[in-house]
Formats: sequence, C-alpha cells, structure tokens
Amino acid sequence: MKFSRRDLLIGGAGALAGLALTPVPWKLLSDVSIWTQNFPWIPQPAHGPVETKYSVCTLCEGGCGIRVRMATKYPVGVAGVRDHPVSKGALCPLAFAAHQLNWHPRRLREVRHAGRTASWAEAQTAFVKACGEGPTAIVDARPGRAVSSVFEAFTRKHRGSYQVVLSAESQALTPYAGWSGVPVTSLGYDLENARTIVSFGVPVLDGWGTPGRFTRLWSERAAGAADPQLRLIQIEPSLSRTAARAWRWVPLREGSEAALAAGVARTLLEEHLVGAPGPMPRSTLAEAAAQTGLATEAIRDLAQRMVENRPVVVIAPDGNPAIAALNVLLGAVGAPGGIVRKRGDVPSHVSADPLPGSFRAVLVDSTVPWEFAAQNDAEVFRFAAWDGGGDSAGWLLPAPGFLEELTDVPTPPTSALETYAVAQNLVAPPTEIRSAAQFLLQIDPTLPAVEKVIHARCDEIFRTRQGTVYGEHPLAVTKIYSAKHLEEQLRKGAVWMGDPPSPGKFRCELKEWPADNRAANATCWAASWAPPVFPPLATKLYQESNLREPPAGRQA
Amino acid sequence: MSARYGFVIDLDRCTGCGACMVACAAENNVPPAPARATPRTGLTPMLVHKVSNGMEGAARREAFIPIACMHCGNETPCVAVCPQQAVEVDKATGIVVQMPQRCLGCRYCMAACAYHARYFNWWDPAWPVGMEKSLNPGVAVRMRGVVEKCNLCPARLHSAQEKAAAAGRKEIDPADYIPACAEACPTGAILFGNLADKNDPVFSAAHSADAFRLLARLGTEPKVYYKSQEAWVKALAERDSVRPTEAQHG
Amino acid sequence: MRRILLIFGLGMGLALVAGWTAFPRALYVRREQPLEFHHKTHSEKSGLTQCDSCHALGSDGEFQGIAGVETCAGCHAEKVGTSKAEATLVDSYIKPARETPWLVYSRQPANVWFSHAIHTHRAGLACQDCHGTLGESDQVRTYEQNRISGYSRDIWGHSMSRLGRAPGDGMKMSDCEDCHHRHNVEVGCLGCHK
Repeated sequence: MKFSRRDLLIGGAGALAGLALTPVPWKLLSDVSIWTQNFPWIPQPAHGPVETKYSVCTLCEGGCGIRVRMATKYPVGVAGVRDHPVSKGALCPLAFAAHQLNWHPRRLREVRHAGRTASWAEAQTAFVKACGEGPTAIVDARPGRAVSSVFEAFTRKHRGSYQVVLSAESQALTPYAGWSGVPVTSLGYDLENARTIVSFGVPVLDGWGTPGRFTRLWSERAAGAADPQLRLIQIEPSLSRTAARAWRWVPLREGSEAALAAGVARTLLEEHLVGAPGPMPRSTLAEAAAQTGLATEAIRDLAQRMVENRPVVVIAPDGNPAIAALNVLLGAVGAPGGIVRKRGDVPSHVSADPLPGSFRAVLVDSTVPWEFAAQNDAEVFRFAAWDGGGDSAGWLLPAPGFLEELTDVPTPPTSALETYAVAQNLVAPPTEIRSAAQFLLQIDPTLPAVEKVIHARCDEIFRTRQGTVYGEHPLAVTKIYSAKHLEEQLRKGAVWMGDPPSPGKFRCELKEWPADNRAANATCWAASWAPPVFPPLATKLYQESNLREPPAGRQA
Repeated sequence: MSARYGFVIDLDRCTGCGACMVACAAENNVPPAPARATPRTGLTPMLVHKVSNGMEGAARREAFIPIACMHCGNETPCVAVCPQQAVEVDKATGIVVQMPQRCLGCRYCMAACAYHARYFNWWDPAWPVGMEKSLNPGVAVRMRGVVEKCNLCPARLHSAQEKAAAAGRKEIDPADYIPACAEACPTGAILFGNLADKNDPVFSAAHSADAFRLLARLGTEPKVYYKSQEAWVKALAERDSVRPTEAQHG
Repeated sequence: MRRILLIFGLGMGLALVAGWTAFPRALYVRREQPLEFHHKTHSEKSGLTQCDSCHALGSDGEFQGIAGVETCAGCHAEKVGTSKAEATLVDSYIKPARETPWLVYSRQPANVWFSHAIHTHRAGLACQDCHGTLGESDQVRTYEQNRISGYSRDIWGHSMSRLGRAPGDGMKMSDCEDCHHRHNVEVGCLGCHK
C-alpha cells in the first residue's frame, strides 16, 4: 500500500475528529486559562492562620495603640485599638500601611561608611576610638524611654554628653517651663476640660499630638453643631483641613501670629475681659491690625469669642512666647482645661539643635529627624532604619524598623495624664540590624539592658498603687497582684494611665509682654512622622489622588 | 433575612485626612503606585475628594467627600453592562460584588458608573522585594487588565461569617463586620451598617433630615448616604462632578 | 472510499487512544510528599481518633489546616519509633523548626474562599463526607500535579472525562455548585470568592 500525502491529510482529519472526542482540547483550554490567571510574577499572600497581637506604634511620639494581624512571622494588617485611652481607637493615615515599611526600597540593611559597605565591628572600633579621643554626644529625640537611660548611663560613664532634640510639640511648652520652673516634660494640655481651643496654625485635627485624642473629642463635642460645646478657633493664613472644620477660621497674614497675640492681649486687658492683671503689649491694636491684615473689629471680636466660653486654651505650633503669653493672660496656665501639670516631674532637657559645643563623635538615635545635622567636624554615627538620602560622610548604622525592637513608650508630650506602654517587638529584624542600645551594650556590657529598665519602671508604677492598666478590660493598679503581672499586661499591648493629678496650681511669672516677634513655624502634613520615608501606600494620598500635597523632602 | 449593607458618611466630620484611603488599600492588597501613575490611572477604591463653595479668601469653605462604590440597589449600571457577568448584586447582603478574575477588561462598567468609583489595573501589581509577605491573606491579588472597586471588604465579612458558624450562630455579630475605611476613620465620620435593620444606627442616620445621596435623580438607589448641615455641601449632591475645577493640593 | 474511511478511522483511532491514555500521563507529573504519613498509625497507636485533634479550628473559627510542626512536636520532639518517615520529620523539620512542605491536594486558587467552619458547623457535614476514608490512610497517595495549571489532579478529579466520579473526587467550581444545588443552599459570588 502506498501512502500518499492525501492519506496523511485524511488521517489528519480523522485524528482531529478523534481528538475532539478526547479530553485533549477541552482540558488544555481549561488548564491554559487557569495558567493565564496564575502568572508567577503576581505576588500571592501567605497561606495559613492569622493571629491578632497588640503593640504600640513608635513612628512618632503619639503612642497610638495598634492591633496587628500576624500571619505567623509577618504583620499583614494594622488597625487601631478601640477604647485605647491614649489613641481612642484612631490612627494617622500612615499607620495603616506602616507594616509594609520594613520592606521599603530604602530600608538600610548594612552598615555603610563614607559611601561603602562596612561592618559593625569596624563601626564599633571607630566609635570606641573616637570616645577615647574626645567628648562624644548622643542625640536622642524621644527622651524618657528606657533606651534614653541607656544613652544617659553611657555618656555619664564615658566622658560624653546626652543631648535631646525636642519635637515642635514639646517646644511649644517651653515658654511655660521657663516662666514657672516646671520641667517641660511635666506639662500637657487638658483638652478634655476645655470649651474653647484656639490654635495658631496647629493641625489639631490633622496629625497633632496623638491624632485620635483630639479628633474623637472634637467629633463628639463639636462636629456638625452650629453652637458646639467645644469651640475650635483656627488661626492660620490658609484654609487647612483643621481650619475647614473649625468653628471659626481667622485668616491672618503669614508670619503675623505674634502681632495678633499682642492685639488680642491688648483687647483683653483694655476691655477687662480677663480677671487678673497682666503685662500690656507695647504694640497698639491698630498696629496689630496692620500687621495681621485683619480689621480691628475682627481682633476685638476674636478676643470676645475667646473668653465667651471658658475654659479656653491656646495652642502654639512652637515655642513662640507671645502666643504662650496669651495663655497666661487668659488664666489657662495651671487650671483645668488649659496647660496643666502632669504628676511626676521627669527632668527635662533643652533642645539641642544645633548641638552646643564641639564633639569628637556624635551618635544619633534613629528617632532623630533626618534633617538634623551634627557639626561638620564631628564623626557621625547615625542609626536609622531607612535611608533619607543625601551625602553621608559618616556612619550609617542599620537600626530596627517597625515593630522590630522592644521599647517603651513614655507619656506623649501633649498629654494631660501620665501614661506608660511597652511596644512589644512582633517581628524579628533582619540579621544585620542592631539597635543603638545593643551597640552601646556591646561596647560596655555594664550598661543596663533595655528589658531591665522596663522591668524597673513597671516595678515603680506598681509600687505607686495608682492609675489603671487598660488592656482587654480596665484594671486598677490596686487590683494588680504583682509588678510582673503589670509588666506582662503591658507587654501584651495594655497601657498604664495615671490618675488625674491632685489640683496643684503652678504659676507663670510674666513680668512683661514678650518682645520676641518671630513667626510661628508652619508645619507640613505628617511633620511628626519620624522616618525619612513614607509607607509606599501613601501614594494613594498625593500621587494617585489630589487629596494632599506630595510630602516635603520625603519619598514613599 | 437579607441585609443591605451601606454607609452614612458625615461630611461635617470628615477632615480629609485620607486614613480611609490608606486603610482600604492595605486591607485589599492594592499595590502602591508605580512611578508613572497619576490621579487618573491610580488605584483608589476609596477616594476622598476635596470640594469648595467656590469662593475665595475669608469666605471660602471647603469640605471632603469620600467616594467609594455606592453599591447601587436599583438597575445597577455596572451589572447591566458587564458582558462577562463579572459583577453581581449579592442577594444576601446587597453588596455589589466585583469579581476581577472574571473581568476581561473592557471597562464598559467604568463608563457606566456615574460615580467614577471603578478603577482599572493598568499595570501588574508590584511591591518592593519582600513586601508581598505583608499582603492580607484574606484577599486575592488582581492582575493587570481587570477592573476593581470597593467590595465592602469581603474578607472581613467572611471572617465574621466563619466566626459565627464556629460559635453555632446563623447570623453574624454586627460588631464583627466593619470595612477597613469605617474602622480607620479617626472622627467616626463613616458609619457602616445594615440599612435593612431598623435598629441599626445607620438606618436612622440614613433617614435623618440632613441625609442625602449623590446623584439621587439617576434612580440607582445607592446605599451610601451622606449627611451635612451645611447648605452649600448639600447643594453639591446633584452636581455632575465633585471634582474641583482648579488644581487643588493640600 | 473504503480506503478513505480506513485511513480516517485509523487517524481517529490513534488520536482517541493517545488522547485518553498518553495525554493524561503526560499532563501530570508525580511528586513526592516530604514524608510518608499514615493516618492509621496515628489513630491506632496514639488514640488520636478525632480529625480535629490535629486539624482543628482556631479561636475565630479559622481552619488551621494540616498540623504544623509544633503540633507534631507534641509527641515527636524526639523519635518515638523506628520509621524513616519519623526520622525525616524529627531531623529535617521538628529540630530545625521548619514547617513541613506538604503538597496540598485540595489547594485552590487564591481567589477561592472555602470555610471549613461553615461546612462542618452550619451545614453539619462530617469530615468523611468530602474527605472519604482519608482519615484511615495507611499510605500516602501520590501527588499528581498538572504541568500547565500547577494544581493537583484532585481538583479536576481523577477521571479525565469527569464521568463516574466518586464523592469528593473533583473540586472545581462546578463541583461546589452541584453540591450546593443538591442541598438547596444558594450563595452568590461573594459566598465563595475573595
């Protein structure tokens, strides 16, 4: 039999017909379509059970409680903690994506020196050598932590100097500290008892202090009401988010805050709107009007509004003394609803930006803003979890990132009540990571370990027999049976809050109206956010929408 | 009894912070934007718009309007146009469920949606190396070429249903189901609940005098209500676009 | 004419044979499980007769899946027997605290949501209703992986024509739909997808 091409074609046709009666085409179609939906370069989430753990966010001083969903080793979601006494269940927009920060492209994963990779051993040698050659400074932006006492202990023993960089929120309280002798860390704002809040450009509804504290308060007592229980007066040149929601917006000319404060003070005194006498500002009302661009009537009206619904408190964006003096005049210092004194005096430090004096070496903690510059001649040992960019002649030391380090959270600067929490580390850091405390402990093993300091603090709190531990349920300290039990609670995400202080007055001595006429510093959004980078999902806010301006000097 | 999940968003409380936008993206495994993404090509299932009363200077007023899928209950436009039946109105919950895996990417639904609440995956999702370990296991990751939108966080609904089943209950505990946006809002502006339940706070809020819906005249019966005491904000309800006319930032 | 029919029939015959025998064999690749786990040994020798002794629901009703090494370590922290499988378990997984990389027969695509709690507690299904006699296994079934889709053969079902399937054999969407239809339980897309 001779097979021709025709036979092949006929055979082929038969094969095709037969194939249609086999699973081949149908199964291939099904499988290929499944394959097209499972391309290997599309990332897949992990399989497996998800647990819920609690900790505290440490990306600013706010101390917000967080509920973290963990898929075994890694966090897969962050949310607020309902009924948390400090943060009231709320978080700032960035916190919801903070669990992704540890994989940010700018994450520091190796020691770097003068642009090349180095080792911890080299950094340690260099630091020890530097300490031997001259005075060293350790710069800390979050004093009061357990880590801070390790820093202080080191500098005391090794011819060093412990320096603190205060945040703008802390700086805003420095005038009162100066006038009363009470340390800055002992002062706070008693917002819960205020009925009028006057903010000079402070974004109280957009990321100031512990964000949830005031947003919840304002939402309960002021939002949507024509005649609210809590009146928010926002004084700033442009219509910010806070100004847009405030009860009154006072649009003054940029840089004229001190002038307005003086104008209002003059009105309060001349029209006898305040009880106690006070120093009269030198400038006249007309001068204030000219500088601020507001009519004299508007300034007088503002003064009236401030005292109509008391207690009133004024919030300044920084240590502008004229704005602080207004608080003194209004009787808002040392009184409920105003600037109050928290229990327990923790020694304060003067903000050291720039550093006083000259140093051989400067160790900069990861909480210090990236823009902080030590002097040119010092050898800088910069701890950071993310690279903020720019030239670095000094040492860049990879520090723990989000939830990678056991640390404690002292009272936020703006809080009226003492609080203490422990931010439990939920994630194991990559191998090359070391915290500043670990670095110093390796150099001097006699220093106290962070865990020991936290343990001692829990012990202290337990022995005061006051306050309440807010975990799953509130528990008075008097009902806690041991310091260990208290520490265990805190390590599981609870927070201790002290009892309100007994009414102890403190007085500010203000002999004359401050002459300082400097402008108050405007803050861009997320000014309190410590890392030099934003979580990648922040692009939703400024790149994928027009909701916010792109962040100044930071990248997602 | 079937539920009708919806929102009442208090525009007097919304400060435009954007927490809802970020929380939504994190919960639903929405990728961060590639460098070339813009507001037109971005993926923002929850999107907060800034609006103003159009005046300048001291008379200017601004507000913020969070917009996500309205879960239209009547003649749902996107459902009507989809050639793939990739979207349906869930009978048990009233949620308009988008199944990106069924979508063929024709984007007809994006044209049909009067609220511009649907977003196209112009690119394959990409996260920095290692960041995929932080993805939410309850939500599938999409690929390029498909449309996605707010689905009222079904992962959270599923968790609530599973919890109820394990505890021997047929109905979920309402406290167990709250979408990421409502949970994240720091002022409590976003109220979520079952509009079919008269005892649910969202029911009375939706029926209050200050409540309104956007483009109600289209008759799609959205399940997202807004409320405000400001007349100029309420007047925006029937306007064609809530996008500001001038370039806005901040 | 006869010749045409013959050649046609020959071609058809060859295609049918290849399509029904060679194709399935070529389509699937056989893979080994990390170790030989026998359910029967465990139920007989340690009294673990309930499925949920090792395959439990978590506190929120989430199914915990195949037991992790921590569960195995409850009895196997040190070797208690003489089998090669146990040696592998203890040395390669329990001691270095590595999760055993089981090949999951029922692994579904990421967009599928199946809740054990709802099926066992609300629907009242017994484990055997879907998993058959797996709980009494005395050998490890070969894992056959589809070379194109990457999923286990168990999803399509062992039979290529999908006819005459045993209950539990086949876990495609239509199989879930069939069972739901039989029991008159209606769920929309949201009921099974994520």
